Amino acid sequence: MRFATRTFLWSFVPFVLLLLGSFWAIQKLVEHTVRDGLRSSLRQTHVSVARVHAHSELQNSRFLKILGENATLKAGLQLLLAAPKSSDAQRTVEDQLREICEKLGFDFLLVSNPDGAALAGVMRVGEQLVGMDIARIQPPQQGFATVGERSYQVVSTPIDQGDANIGTLSVGEPFDFSEFTTPAVLTHHGKVLKSSIPGIPAEDVEAALKACRDRSECEVRLRGETYISLPMDSISFGQGYVLRSLQSIDAAGGPVQGILANVFGIAGFGALLATAIISVLSSQSIVRPINGVVAHLRESEGTGLLPEFHDRKPASIQEIRDLTESFNRAASAIREGRESLHRAYVEFVGSLASALDARDRYTAGHSRRVSELSCAIARAMNLGATDLDIVKIGALLHDIGKIGIADSVLQKPGKLTNEEFALIQQHPTIGRRILEGVNGFQDYLSIVELHHEDWNGSGYPWGLRGDATPLPARIVHVADAYDAMTSDRPYRRGMSGEQAIRVLQQNTGTQFDPAIVPVLTRVVDLSQELSGGAAAPTGPSRVHVLPRAVNDPRDV
Amino acid sequence: MPRAISVIVNGCLLLGVVSAGALRATDIEGTVVIKRKLTKPRVTAPASAYERGVAVDLASGPVLDPLSFERSRVVVYLDGQFPSIPTTAVLEQKNRQFVTDTLVVPAGSTVSFPNRDPIFHNVFSLSKPKTFDLGNYPKDHTRTVDFDKPGIVFVNCHLHPNMSAAIVVSPNQWATKADGAGHFTLLDVPPGSYTIVAWHRTAGFFRHTVKVGKDHAGAVEFIIPLDESGDPKVLARR
Repeated sequence: MRFATRTFLWSFVPFVLLLLGSFWAIQKLVEHTVRDGLRSSLRQTHVSVARVHAHSELQNSRFLKILGENATLKAGLQLLLAAPKSSDAQRTVEDQLREICEKLGFDFLLVSNPDGAALAGVMRVGEQLVGMDIARIQPPQQGFATVGERSYQVVSTPIDQGDANIGTLSVGEPFDFSEFTTPAVLTHHGKVLKSSIPGIPAEDVEAALKACRDRSECEVRLRGETYISLPMDSISFGQGYVLRSLQSIDAAGGPVQGILANVFGIAGFGALLATAIISVLSSQSIVRPINGVVAHLRESEGTGLLPEFHDRKPASIQEIRDLTESFNRAASAIREGRESLHRAYVEFVGSLASALDARDRYTAGHSRRVSELSCAIARAMNLGATDLDIVKIGALLHDIGKIGIADSVLQKPGKLTNEEFALIQQHPTIGRRILEGVNGFQDYLSIVELHHEDWNGSGYPWGLRGDATPLPARIVHVADAYDAMTSDRPYRRGMSGEQAIRVLQQNTGTQFDPAIVPVLTRVVDLSQELSGGAAAPTGPSRVHVLPRAVNDPRDV
Repeated sequence: MPRAISVIVNGCLLLGVVSAGALRATDIEGTVVIKRKLTKPRVTAPASAYERGVAVDLASGPVLDPLSFERSRVVVYLDGQFPSIPTTAVLEQKNRQFVTDTLVVPAGSTVSFPNRDPIFHNVFSLSKPKTFDLGNYPKDHTRTVDFDKPGIVFVNCHLHPNMSAAIVVSPNQWATKADGAGHFTLLDVPPGSYTIVAWHRTAGFFRHTVKVGKDHAGAVEFIIPLDESGDPKVLARR
């Protein structure tokens, strides 16, 4: 992964996570608050309902106390106890109950024997008061009674005759949720008897409530909405009856959640955008100077040079500044070391060339002069610094192979024999052999070996033609010839510069590169102008016309 | 306008042909005029309603002329111990009512109380002339009671406190109820001077003396009044 990407991610991702975490926490807090609010509202409803319930129960029980003392009813109950199987007796008591219901506006009235078994009862169905099927009724003393589809809230009172209890009178009011300000559900052993949740069938409510344990708060899903359901435990409704009130969390929390979603959306988008921008900028501010350093190092690696940092604007990061300064110091030290080594090397090569030249007073300074002239030519031909260096050193070393030629041959005043001539012609090859084993001299081998190759292929040792000889070697070839011709020798006097140039020009295209000779001419003219025409030891008496520029191999 | 009390009893002399040497019995006729409602008739749903289980509408009932109803509940009899001719009578319990609610029988008569309702009834009385409790009994069962002593016997039902009837046990056979128009006739009253008594359940007793001659009877006029103070009084014009 790129450094920039990594820097960006390390600054961006934690912030995003932090943002998401905050949103999640706020969301949870809001949900929790809404839930608490609903719970307390449900409890409040329960308290109100319980209060109303207790009040109405008290009133009913007062009514009932009076009813329980009704002599007629007692007579009827006694009749019923005496003739429990008689339908006439049952009808008689039903008749009495019906009359009470009519008078007092009850909807459910029932008498039972001291054991709690129902004896007779009437209930209102529509406009009518009908007798109950008492075989199917188990009236509670207190709480709910269910008859068919109807649920009643029942209050009971004993009927006493003297000291003996002869039965119980129970009065019921149809149960509804009118006291509830929230939706509510009445269940009996898990079965929904009555529900006031709008638009949801009882079966669905029943299925959803299965997840709730009796008498515990729980959450249920109904038609995609979440409801909090709280059982009412302040009133006893009898065995198996549970009254739950419900509140939709979604409906209560929806508006808040909507606002939150909007706020989170806008704030989140803004924060993410800002974070992304800041992250990009901050990563760039870190990465850019480092990238600059890296690019610089790569370039140094590619070129082998160690240029110093010279930014117009110093890096804004202290560490990066320290790094570049350290690098600059190291690069400077290395470069100085390298230059010093190069200087020593050049001096060594110069010494070597001087040593060679010193064998003969006639050739003293030859190598250095050829080197200087070659460099002048190369500069005039716009060669690069590296090639210049090669030309300079190569020219200093070009005659190194003469070490291997005996002084008797080299310094022989007379004419050379063919054997001697052939011997001398070996000096390029010898020079190459000497240097090729030395590390760091490879660049100069071509000059040492090929500085006697001619343009037309008549040179030695290989007889290369034209461009086949590298340019540095061709330059040194011309410069070597010029210096040889203008130098004194034991067997002849050196010619003047003009003569030498003339000879060179005569041999242009045959012996010498036609591109180089004019350059040499210009360079020599220039140097003569600078030195007042005393550049070369010249004299007309010493001028020889040579068929070749140099015809004695000892010259060069 | 005469106050409610102005009752004119027109003795209507009926001339009867009697056998020689014997006193001819003469009928006593009279009129009771009531111009004011004395009781509120209670309307009860028919007993069949209980079998069907329909709601009972207490607001409506048979339309009766209230004054006619009052007049028909007035019992008239002659006071005094005379030989009585006992009879049998029936006081039905029907539609949670005693039918009729005012029965007149001479002393020594037997009254049966059949239950015509599909529910139990109970007949009892705590009245001085006859105290009894026939217990609870269902439909089509009956009980009988002999009434030996004259007097007013109120009959009730333990199970239905609104059920009430009065049995007037007259000391002799000359006893009757006025009709809706207030007319009454006591047949074949031997000549003599009698105290004639009218009784209304709410208004109470009203007495008057009547002389029955050989061929005529005195005209009897009763007012069944409640004066302004609420005390029942009998005012005889003549």
